[in-house]
Amino acid sequence: MSGKFNSNSAVMNFPRRDSQDKLRGRTKYTVDMENSDVLHAALLRAEIPSARLISIDTSEAKKMPGVKAIATHLDAPGLHGIGISDHPIFAGDVVRYHGEPIAAVAALTKAQAEAAAAAIKVTFEQDDAVLTMEDALSIDAPLVHPDWENYEILFDGAARGGNIAWEATVQRGDTNAAFCRDDVTIVEGCYRVGRQSHVPFEPRAVVASFEDGRYHIQTSTQVPWTVRHVTAKVLGIPEAQVQVTVPAVGGGFGLKFDCSLEPYAAILAKKSGRSVSLYNSRREEQMTCLCRENAEIRLRSAVTKEGEIVGREATVLMDCGAYGGEQVFLTSMTAHTLGGNYKLGSVRISSRAIYTNTPPNGAFRACNGVYNTFALERHTDEICSAIGMDQIEFRRRNVIGNGDIGATGQVFEGDVLRPMLEQLLEKYPIGDTQEVLPDGRLFGRATTVGTWFIFVGPSAATVNLNADGSATLVTSGVEIGSGTMMQSLPQMVAASLGLHPSDVIVKTADTDASGRDLGVGGGRTTVSIGAASMAACEEVREKLLSVASQMLQTKAEDLVLKNGRIEIKDRPGSGATIQTVAQQAELDFGPISGSGAFTNPGVKAMPGCASGHFIEAIDIPVFAVHDCEVAVDPDTGHVEVLSYRIIQDVGRALNPRAIHGQIQGGIVQGLGYALQEEITINADGAFDQTGFETYRLPLAGDVLPIDFELFEGAPSCGPLGTKGAGEVPILNVGASIACAVANATGKAVSELPLTPPRVLALLDDDGYTGLSLTHISSEWHKNTLGRTSSY
Amino acid sequence: MTVNLAINGDASTYEGDPRTSLLDVLRNHFRLTGTKAVCGEGFCGACTVHVNGKPIMACLQPIGVLDGAEVTTIEGIAPLDELNAVQQAFEDFDVVQCGMCFPGMVMSLSAFLKENPNPERDEVKSAMTGNICRCTGYERIIDALMSVQGLEQVSSQKSEKVTS
Ligand code: FES
Ligand code: FES
Repeated sequence: MSGKFNSNSAVMNFPRRDSQDKLRGRTKYTVDMENSDVLHAALLRAEIPSARLISIDTSEAKKMPGVKAIATHLDAPGLHGIGISDHPIFAGDVVRYHGEPIAAVAALTKAQAEAAAAAIKVTFEQDDAVLTMEDALSIDAPLVHPDWENYEILFDGAARGGNIAWEATVQRGDTNAAFCRDDVTIVEGCYRVGRQSHVPFEPRAVVASFEDGRYHIQTSTQVPWTVRHVTAKVLGIPEAQVQVTVPAVGGGFGLKFDCSLEPYAAILAKKSGRSVSLYNSRREEQMTCLCRENAEIRLRSAVTKEGEIVGREATVLMDCGAYGGEQVFLTSMTAHTLGGNYKLGSVRISSRAIYTNTPPNGAFRACNGVYNTFALERHTDEICSAIGMDQIEFRRRNVIGNGDIGATGQVFEGDVLRPMLEQLLEKYPIGDTQEVLPDGRLFGRATTVGTWFIFVGPSAATVNLNADGSATLVTSGVEIGSGTMMQSLPQMVAASLGLHPSDVIVKTADTDASGRDLGVGGGRTTVSIGAASMAACEEVREKLLSVASQMLQTKAEDLVLKNGRIEIKDRPGSGATIQTVAQQAELDFGPISGSGAFTNPGVKAMPGCASGHFIEAIDIPVFAVHDCEVAVDPDTGHVEVLSYRIIQDVGRALNPRAIHGQIQGGIVQGLGYALQEEITINADGAFDQTGFETYRLPLAGDVLPIDFELFEGAPSCGPLGTKGAGEVPILNVGASIACAVANATGKAVSELPLTPPRVLALLDDDGYTGLSLTHISSEWHKNTLGRTSSY
Repeated sequence: MTVNLAINGDASTYEGDPRTSLLDVLRNHFRLTGTKAVCGEGFCGACTVHVNGKPIMACLQPIGVLDGAEVTTIEGIAPLDELNAVQQAFEDFDVVQCGMCFPGMVMSLSAFLKENPNPERDEVKSAMTGNICRCTGYERIIDALMSVQGLEQVSSQKSEKVTS
């Protein structure tokens, strides 16, 4: 490799280039792209949770004013999914959830499209619906997918059966022996959480057209290549016929990590010969949100009086709703969150995605890590009470460090959590904890730890060096609001090429121009797209330096790229501008460009430890230590957060100010989850919370400034030592609030969100010792299908 | 029905259903898409515009009663290529994320600061209660606003400048 560059030059509080136009209202999001020539589309959605469809008659609707095209399941024969192809985009024979699309209509106006959709005649026979996981697991439960055995399997190795869409298990060591030891205390607890809705301010939206035999999809997505793949799969066409481009995205948080409305608009565009715009009304967006799933958890641990966890058994039920979706994949992550944080002598985990007749769930910032950390940290404090050990002392002794092994047998590198914990305690020593504040409210403090991962996987990048000395970065990265595409990526490219980041043009995602990518989410943008971009820059540097070496008659290793110039080392002003060298290169062999790629083949589990796991071990672990103080009003049940402070492992902070923005925003989303955001599902299988009035997002008056320190230098295979910083702030907020409320009230906090009625119920129930979930057996093996089950 | 009104200083005419919301008229009829439709029911503030100088939620405002009104939208709050004091502070403090709530934030808070040129932090917080943001967690927006002292000094105000 020729000529190293100073990676510190990538670190700066570079401002984002998209903010001025966002502040002026000039930015065009997908929802703003309805020009006068587009048709407007609407979906007919089911209003029952489970039914057999007998007929769908569109003949009257077709004749209605303005109608240009109608689509049904006949237009989209394919099934898609993650791990299993179980998901049609239209209900054809069967309705599996309230809100499931049955038909799509394109018309001259949105009102005409809606009227025609309402005029489609559907006859059906209603079936019994399973609305809870407990119902879904009962012996005589109706099957959400009677045909489950016939689905195409996209990823082998998991146990499945009936309403159990996917089961991932971990078994390391002999837990039976551990639980039989006579020197252990056995602690057992159950935990439950509801769904969380992302509420991106721009709903899912798409404008599609069909030109020259190809579909062009402009969409509000985090995953352009997934949209390309899924659209092609359900339409039954070659993927090369689909182009996906992505303008500014008005918020994602994981909701837009799946293909959603795009295929409907694509079909209607082809059928009508016109561009078609389709977006969710706020009501539809809420009612069909691919939420962070509701979950039910049982944890059982065998712990010595010194606090050693010699055995742990865990079962997690994740509601995937009517189709498997992300939850199938996320079963893998249970092992790495429940099996993270602490050293475990032996461990067995069953992580199951359960079908119900409810709207499908999806990915949401730190996904199941958020509630698994809640359950784990509450369970940890219950262990502390049971063995009479201080909560901090227990964590000091047990947090994973260098050489410790995770649930699936991976060996962790570096001591990270313990020094982070010490850093927090040094800054905020544990003082005398007052139990009751002068105003009569109950005071509690908690310190929790969290382990999550950076989702890596393939990314591609091209860097073109332009004749004017600027560079263009071409990737499939999408700017969803976090700023990564505006800040850390141009900063990295600029540092590598000796440019200022404002001289790096960042191309918006276009699957016709950029290479394949897994998408923006899971903290992977800086890491994976960043690494691919750095690799592309390396090729550009090599070429530039070889031309400059000729021009300046100096060996390449004695040249440095800096401030838009290539200089002879230690002789400022001796060289030439990058522009001059780029122009010389054009004369010699043509314009300079470079391409780069990245993936991490994946750390493996210890043989035989894990089955049904998409990710056997975590490539880049990321850690967090959170601490908060709360005051609980015993009369109203209201929880006020008095302080919130964190130490976050970021690997290396390229733009500390932008990371601050992610921390403040992520923790506030976590506070919403912990305290007020609640979704309930009614007897019709629909959410009771249909909009902003009933789904309570945190308001300015509900929040506080988050105090934080960044922990740098933990091992990471990310470029320049980075880890993603935007995903993880939310990780242990539910855990910290729950533990602090438990410490304040002395009650077994086993459920989130801690709304005032729930807190009051806890305070009022004198005998309450925690939740009991009878449908998850205390005998762990009863919560598994077995590795080769035929069910 | 015909409604004559001024939008960002331009004489404009709308013909159609008087019950249509000002938000729909701005976005669909005049293609001024800077005003955002988010909740559609008066809870989030993303659709805030000024009518005769007062901030209102355009999603709740029927167009029929606006004959003769002067409407200012985010596109007209500052001269072309300039930012007003609030926009400048948001820019300087790098607080924008997805950006969908910001047109409404700018409109509400510009009006608020005009009435209360030197507010306390708590007052800013209360004033922001009608503007929901899903991305930022608010506090850094408030930091930015607290740097604006007196609306007259406006667009020259620079605080936490770029370090590079
Ligand atoms: S869109 Fe008008 S207040 Fe939300
Ligand atoms: S910046 Fe996204 S909603 Fe406020």
